[in-house]
Amino acid sequence: MRDIVRMVVVLTLIGALSGLTLSAIHRVTRAPIEYQTIKFVKEPAVKKVLTGYENDPIADRKKIVVGVDEKGRPLEVIIFPAKKAGVTFAVALEGRGKGFGGLIGVMVGVSRDGALLDIGITAHSETPGVGSKVAEASFTDRFKGLPLTKGLTVDAISGATYSSRGVVAAVEQAVGYVSKFSKEIF
Amino acid sequence: MSITDEFTKGLWKTVAPFRLVLGLCPTLAVTTSGINGIGMGLATTFVLVFSNLFVSLLRRFIPTQVRIASFIVIIASFVVIVELVMQAYFYPLFKILGIFIPLIVVNCIILGRAEAFASKNGLLVSLADGLGIGIGFTLSLFVLGSLRELLGSGTLLFYDSSHPGFHVMWESFEPFTFMLKPPGAFVALGLLLGAMNLISRHQARKGG
Repeated sequence: MRDIVRMVVVLTLIGALSGLTLSAIHRVTRAPIEYQTIKFVKEPAVKKVLTGYENDPIADRKKIVVGVDEKGRPLEVIIFPAKKAGVTFAVALEGRGKGFGGLIGVMVGVSRDGALLDIGITAHSETPGVGSKVAEASFTDRFKGLPLTKGLTVDAISGATYSSRGVVAAVEQAVGYVSKFSKEIF
Repeated sequence: MSITDEFTKGLWKTVAPFRLVLGLCPTLAVTTSGINGIGMGLATTFVLVFSNLFVSLLRRFIPTQVRIASFIVIIASFVVIVELVMQAYFYPLFKILGIFIPLIVVNCIILGRAEAFASKNGLLVSLADGLGIGIGFTLSLFVLGSLRELLGSGTLLFYDSSHPGFHVMWESFEPFTFMLKPPGAFVALGLLLGAMNLISRHQARKGG
């Protein structure tokens, strides 16, 4: 009986101490891990759509709540601001649209005066060789400099209508966030 | 055996991947370049040293019936620490080593040292043992990784994607991409093991 009590006590103590240490370490590393993950996953796309900034858009990122998801949790979008002399002149943010093979993630650069700077595809699962052409510069360049005031019109890639529409939907979602929450963003 | 003996035995006499043929899973899987080998080796060394330290500290306190469970909890805690720290500060390396970082938990070198050595020996010798075995493991992985990197891609340690033109081998060298594939790992391990046996035999003959 004494043995069993001792085993239980020892294992409980070791488990509790380990849990305590790990939660402390987790607390310390949470912010750097988030920064690193965003930096390595999103930075290439952010760099493509924003130019001429002097700050670190990843470090200066902010989250805005754009709505709630189906479970009632707040839906957040990360905004990457491009600043020159402390003034935000453009932002990059990600929108999603339904393509042929699933959701297409598009990083969209929007300038303060409401022009579309550039877009970059961050994630897609479109048909290789057909729908995947939307990720190429020949397609993404068609969005450069479009005004945001009226609906987007872009020549689709023939044979990849759904994929093209998916990208347009993603861009429109991102642009929609910008016009709806422009006060918080700029 | 003295502390120095405990430390140096891990460097040559019982160097884990070659002499004991233990811990082969990470040894073969991640050593596609020298720097990967060092990263994996250092992560394992960290876990090994601290698990040895704590197992040795707690050896009188842990009942024998639950010792394996306790060791695993201790080892797993340090593995999670390594994983979090690596993810926070060495993200590219973390991405490359991937699943093999959490799998350090089941690396039999670490549980083996905890069970066979640290649970029976004092604090200082256990530390020396962990450090020796760990550094031996790191060196083995580094040598194996460098060999594979040299033959498989014609580059060495300082290579990274930012300056891809850097080649150690002569200009017309055609890399054996085979060496970077899993079978190449076995071939490289076999070659190194053969070389080590050759050196040992030579030493034994010279010694008497």
